[in-house]
Amino acid sequence: MAASSAVVAILASIWLCSSIAADASGSSSETTMHTNNWAVLVCTSRFWFNYRHMANTLSLYRTVKRLGIPDERIILMLADDMACNSRNKYPAQVFNNENHWLNLYGDNVEVDYRGYEVTVENFLRVLTGRHESAVPRSKRLLSDEGSHILLYMTGHGGDEFLKFQDSEELQSHDLADAVKQMKEKHRFKELLIMVDTCQAATLFNQLHSPGVLAIASSMKGENSYSHHLDSDVGVSVVDRFTFYTLAFFERLNMYDNASLSRLFNSYDPNLLMSNAYYRTDLYQRNLQEVPVTNFFGSVMETVHTDSAYRAFPQKNTPRETRIRTGKTAEDDSRRSILTDMTKAECPFTRIVSSLESKMETVGNLDSLVNYGLVMILPVLVVSVWLST
Amino acid sequence: MAEIAESASTTEHPLGTVGASRSKASPSALRESDVDPKTMRTTTPGLKRVFLTFSVLLSFLLGFPFLWKTVEIYRSPLPFGDMDALSKQIESSPLQFPCHFQSVFLNFDSRSSGGILDPRELRRSILSEMTKLTSQTLERQCGSCGGNFTLSVVVDSGDGPCRLFDERHGNGLTPNCSYKCGALGALNLGDDEAIDEALRSALDESCSDYGGKLYTVVVVDGGGAGEGPKALVGKHRHGWISGRELDAEAMIGRMAEMFVKVFMNGAREDGAIHGEFMPVGADGRVVLSFSLLNANPDDWFYDWDFQRLDDTLLNPVIEALKPIANISVESQVLYHTPKSSFSYWDESLGSYIFSTKDLSFFVNSNEWHLDTSVAAGGRTKILQFVVYVPSAKECPLSLQLPSGEISKTNGFISPMWGGVMVWHPQSCIKYSGSGPPARLLMHPDDLHRIFEVLMGQLRQLFGLKSNSIYVGAAGAYKLLPSEKGFTEWELDVLSRQHTCFNLHSSGTTLGSLSRLVQSLPRMIIKDEIGKQVKFSLEAAQLAQTNASVGLYEASAASSRQARSLAEDAFFHPSIMSVSYFSFEHCFAVYSPFFLPVSLHVLLAAVREWRRYKHEKAKYVRWKVKQVKAA
Repeated sequence: MAASSAVVAILASIWLCSSIAADASGSSSETTMHTNNWAVLVCTSRFWFNYRHMANTLSLYRTVKRLGIPDERIILMLADDMACNSRNKYPAQVFNNENHWLNLYGDNVEVDYRGYEVTVENFLRVLTGRHESAVPRSKRLLSDEGSHILLYMTGHGGDEFLKFQDSEELQSHDLADAVKQMKEKHRFKELLIMVDTCQAATLFNQLHSPGVLAIASSMKGENSYSHHLDSDVGVSVVDRFTFYTLAFFERLNMYDNASLSRLFNSYDPNLLMSNAYYRTDLYQRNLQEVPVTNFFGSVMETVHTDSAYRAFPQKNTPRETRIRTGKTAEDDSRRSILTDMTKAECPFTRIVSSLESKMETVGNLDSLVNYGLVMILPVLVVSVWLST
Repeated sequence: MAEIAESASTTEHPLGTVGASRSKASPSALRESDVDPKTMRTTTPGLKRVFLTFSVLLSFLLGFPFLWKTVEIYRSPLPFGDMDALSKQIESSPLQFPCHFQSVFLNFDSRSSGGILDPRELRRSILSEMTKLTSQTLERQCGSCGGNFTLSVVVDSGDGPCRLFDERHGNGLTPNCSYKCGALGALNLGDDEAIDEALRSALDESCSDYGGKLYTVVVVDGGGAGEGPKALVGKHRHGWISGRELDAEAMIGRMAEMFVKVFMNGAREDGAIHGEFMPVGADGRVVLSFSLLNANPDDWFYDWDFQRLDDTLLNPVIEALKPIANISVESQVLYHTPKSSFSYWDESLGSYIFSTKDLSFFVNSNEWHLDTSVAAGGRTKILQFVVYVPSAKECPLSLQLPSGEISKTNGFISPMWGGVMVWHPQSCIKYSGSGPPARLLMHPDDLHRIFEVLMGQLRQLFGLKSNSIYVGAAGAYKLLPSEKGFTEWELDVLSRQHTCFNLHSSGTTLGSLSRLVQSLPRMIIKDEIGKQVKFSLEAAQLAQTNASVGLYEASAASSRQARSLAEDAFFHPSIMSVSYFSFEHCFAVYSPFFLPVSLHVLLAAVREWRRYKHEKAKYVRWKVKQVKAA
């Protein structure tokens, strides 16, 4: 009796706290046109000794920009600032190579989420699109149903999680849930997820939305290693998986059509010291037919405009001399502003504008002011004499 | 031992025991020594302890609902049933609009056409042609007229009477929206604009039925120079076919094609507009951003009087598109914006050439900072219209099509992004004076021409064609352009397609939202979300009602509102699944409070109950023994 009532109580509490997971069916989108590419590049680690994660992300940012994706379609999230870190011997410079061939922080780097803004919540908000209304457009993922999205994440990770900022973690079911909601809302046509952390392949275990391709730097139980140490800067500057990815892309330009299968087959487990794992069961297309520029480069479907729409009545203005000096153009604009003002209804504005126009005609304003000041003196004398 | 037993029993229940011992003094005096306290007792067991423990247990159980209420999460009640019903309904039965057509045969005298034309026969043959054409394309697609159209035929010959056949005649109804015989008198078949105006005044103002949406095709015999029938579609909701010695039967095919291909499908090959040609943002707003790009201001740089262009030419277009999208306009002039593709000098054509293969790489997003709008909210769509003025090194710059000819417009669009056109100044002489070059204001004629190309691009972005000829299976049709950028029948097509798309989108969004909310039972749903869902459902209902009646613009506007409210509800920032706790978390928080205490209380109650039962059994056994002894 006691045991059964205890069990009932426990079952009641279990029922109280249980959640039902509903599995919604995703819809296929083979009929929509591929209109643009987006990239979401996330570096999740803080602290100076994780320099290589920042360098990884910035290298990929540079590659993706070089191949054509513009800043307005890249969301770059960097969890810490290595370039202006007080321990950086080369201030405002970030290198991914010990020979310092390339300054990744050199020109035109637009970081959308920096420092403490890189949190799991903000990351999921970027993916699902649920922002506060005040968040500016540059911080939103404004993709539509024709977009291909590249999602690159690097940092420290483990079995089914990725560590953010050394204080919280993104779990594989959170990521899978966000991707599922993105698919339901048609926020992407195809998604390529690249993860460069330890045991990265476990992060994809719960994904089940169609149209998702995932590649990880290591499998469960394996670590991902850094490539080399820069003794000048004092820390490791790049990870192996990202190093070999960049080596593949350095040979390409935006007109190339190397396929994704070539990229995936270019990873050598002996060089990586881990097994790069990729998951294609959710992706319908054959990897040999998909060019890497589908995700890493820019694509712009263009349609030629055949003819103009000649419907509009044209007012025939005589062809005056078109070349005027800059000053008269400004005068024109100023005069037009003034005439607009005289057309205004308010009498006060009219008075002010007429005064202003009178002031314009006066040649030397300083002399007028001086005359005015000089005039004060006799007025003063007269008034004093009157009052006595 | 008996005294001890007596005293023991007296201390427990003094009244009862004394009475019992007094009454049963004689027979039990011998027997009390036989009472074994482990198996029997002489008094009824007490209930105080049982009451105590059970009252504590009962208070816990009574307090449980109060606890439940205090930890309850506020969830605004969403009408899940209605949301799922709407999404299922929209997916299963695509929205069909009622369309009304009318054909008028004018000035067909009985001598040239074989015999007197019978409206009933004509109507039957036109209907069969139309059903053949609609069954070729997918007529059950969303936003089309489908099989739900009415047709009335009028034969107005110059010499004979005017005969009319409308299917509602059979029901005894006299339609008040029918052609007034003799309204179209002598038509001057030379001037297209004049014919259009005459038709408009004759046909449209008589129509108050159908919400004013009656599509008419007039076939006129006479006029023309005998080169064959000429077919034109006007700016409003009518078209006409004119020619010499026309055969009424032969014209049926062209008439049916004009009804189905032009008026129903919008003069496109297939009837549906794909999602990449619906550039309206999720909140029903579009921002048109016009940019004038000066590639190299050291050579020359241009300015434009955009304000005047906006006031005179652009405003009517924006007004016309009001039911479909809420449009706002902004413009800017940029400098030092080279393009990122290359062009080469072609001697034979006398200009620098870039081809269609380079178009994808034309937009140099690193240098062209186009998306700097602060007016656009998060879910608004921005369409960029770029006018590129090349530098002196690449002037003149022309686009060469794959066929080898030079493009007349030098422009192209990218769906969902916007359009680009290249404009080079009249003379490509580089400025060689000292000091910076002067700002040159674009001449209004040039601006006008640019604007015409940009309007063509805007039409293309919305899925229509920018040229004004439609070539169908039966012949070519000239489409008259309108100064509002879109003719009325084109706006009807757009309204229907957008209504359909918006309703479909709001249905799927609401369905996803309902599934999401039901899958996270511990997530707070704010009142705002509940209200948005309610208004969205009402707007969707209103849109469907309007669509069934035939009010295209009203249904487009309310479907746009339904979609924007559904998107606001779905993308409400408080719906974040990471913030709501899993089962393990919930259990871990509450169990340290309640589990130990409730365990103790339960155990105590159970123990007391068992003790009571045991003591009761002992008493019963003693009673039985008494009864047996007595």
